[in-house]
Amino acid sequence: MGNFTLGSYVPMDSVIHKMDPRSKIIIMLLLMISIFIPSGIMGYILIGLFIFVILKLSKLNVKYVLRSMKPMMFMMVFLFVINVFVIKTGVPWIKLGWFSIYSDAVYQTLYIVVRLLFMIMITTILTSTTKPLDLTLGIEKLLKPLEKIKFPSHVIAMMISIALRFIPTLIEETQRIMNAQASRGVDLDNGSLKEKLMAILSLIVPLFISAFDRADQLANAMEARGYNPNATRTRYKVLKFSTMDFVGLFSSCLLLIVNIAIAYIL
Amino acid sequence: MSIEIHNLEHIYNKETPYPQAALKGVNLTIPEGKVTAIIGQTGSGKSTLVQHLNGLLLPTAGELEVCGFHIQPLLKIKDVKQLRKEVGLVFQFPEYQLFEETIEKDIAFGPKNFGATEQEASELVRKILPVVGLDESYLERSPFELSGGQKRRVAIAGILVLNPKVLVLDEPTAGLDPQGSKEMMTLFMNLNRQAHKTVILVTHDMEHVMKYCDHVIVMDHGNVAHEADVKEFFQNPDWLLNIGINPPSIIRLKLMLNEKGFNIPNDILDEESLLKCIKGQVKSHG
Repeated sequence: MGNFTLGSYVPMDSVIHKMDPRSKIIIMLLLMISIFIPSGIMGYILIGLFIFVILKLSKLNVKYVLRSMKPMMFMMVFLFVINVFVIKTGVPWIKLGWFSIYSDAVYQTLYIVVRLLFMIMITTILTSTTKPLDLTLGIEKLLKPLEKIKFPSHVIAMMISIALRFIPTLIEETQRIMNAQASRGVDLDNGSLKEKLMAILSLIVPLFISAFDRADQLANAMEARGYNPNATRTRYKVLKFSTMDFVGLFSSCLLLIVNIAIAYIL
Repeated sequence: MSIEIHNLEHIYNKETPYPQAALKGVNLTIPEGKVTAIIGQTGSGKSTLVQHLNGLLLPTAGELEVCGFHIQPLLKIKDVKQLRKEVGLVFQFPEYQLFEETIEKDIAFGPKNFGATEQEASELVRKILPVVGLDESYLERSPFELSGGQKRRVAIAGILVLNPKVLVLDEPTAGLDPQGSKEMMTLFMNLNRQAHKTVILVTHDMEHVMKYCDHVIVMDHGNVAHEADVKEFFQNPDWLLNIGINPPSIIRLKLMLNEKGFNIPNDILDEESLLKCIKGQVKSHG
């Protein structure tokens, strides 16, 4: 009931919400590329500032976006431990017999963590400021040129929107089946490995069955309404670039160029 | 042992920006050995309420006492499995919880979770099948090749096989044809009358409430709007109409008769005595 999942659309009135989904997707891609350019601390500070400005403009709750980092904590610790043992270059900071931590290990971990952090932040911002349907419409429009080489962009977009549409439904369904099986004595937290496997099986089988049922019904309903993926159709909502879109695209292009400059020229 | 609920409150997503209060201070006593109906519109908190009864949900405030178990906020229930054995909860469309290859295995799944051996579980399954109106020829069949109504019987057998003292049913007849739902209700009535189980029924069907239940609880926006004995409950049809409940057909017939000049007393609730009353009034009139 009313499951509150991270990254879901947060209705608000901001310039970022009003932007064209196409430009938002392109900006996200540009930012992703910038993040993966090894431009050192300077570059990351620039990207960080850029993301912070977007975050402020989107009027999203900063705490809400930062909360999406929580599951990352384990990952960070894990990475750090691996790096400490693997990377043995740079300045040795701590030396205790056979155990030592080198500066590069710490830097490397920090870089990876910062990259992941940025990526999660921009995708969270994208999905919480764009309605799923707009997002798929944007993807469809962006993939349109590929139709010349027989790429089924509409079908792909339809598949994505159906998948997105059914995520909350499936979460609800899982919760329901979990409750039903818990009432039959399933204990998902405790028990031996065999019992746990059985518990998961008792969850997955019904879930698949109902998912296939739903898919079947949906397909029938679509066919009953004469759905034809190859038909040309008009849109109620026509996408249009605004000034803000151009500003966003231009500034993210600039950011990418600056990053490349820092990494390869300086 | 009856079920006592004190100031029960449940708020979903309490710590998030979108809290949702589903129960706002519910006080109830559900009598032992009776059939209690919980009615109310969608979103009135019925399902949330029943999920507290076997510890699937913990209250965010208040407390409840179920079969000697004390349930209160934040405190993990000791021996929650035992509680779930005492209180059998059958969800809406329970056929969606079937997953095993054969019906025997599926029904035996519950007892095995509660520590029964293969042998014991198999015996229990054989004992429970006739209770839900199936015979042993079903044991080796796959639950997925059955009809909707039969699947539901198997799923309910999966709960009954645990021999719970309290049986909670969330709309057990939803989606069944009239004959099927009548059989289903008869099954629950037998469990109540013969095996003396406390039955709690969440339903939308007023005919069922009137015909089968002893006690009625009306939920509205997370509160208990009304609690009464069934006889008493249906004696005041105006009140029913006011809270948006369509009364059973016999009550509607009574209302129409009264409108046309008959004088049917409020305590007449079954067809036979209504017929007798009409006959008497027609005779004395003629």
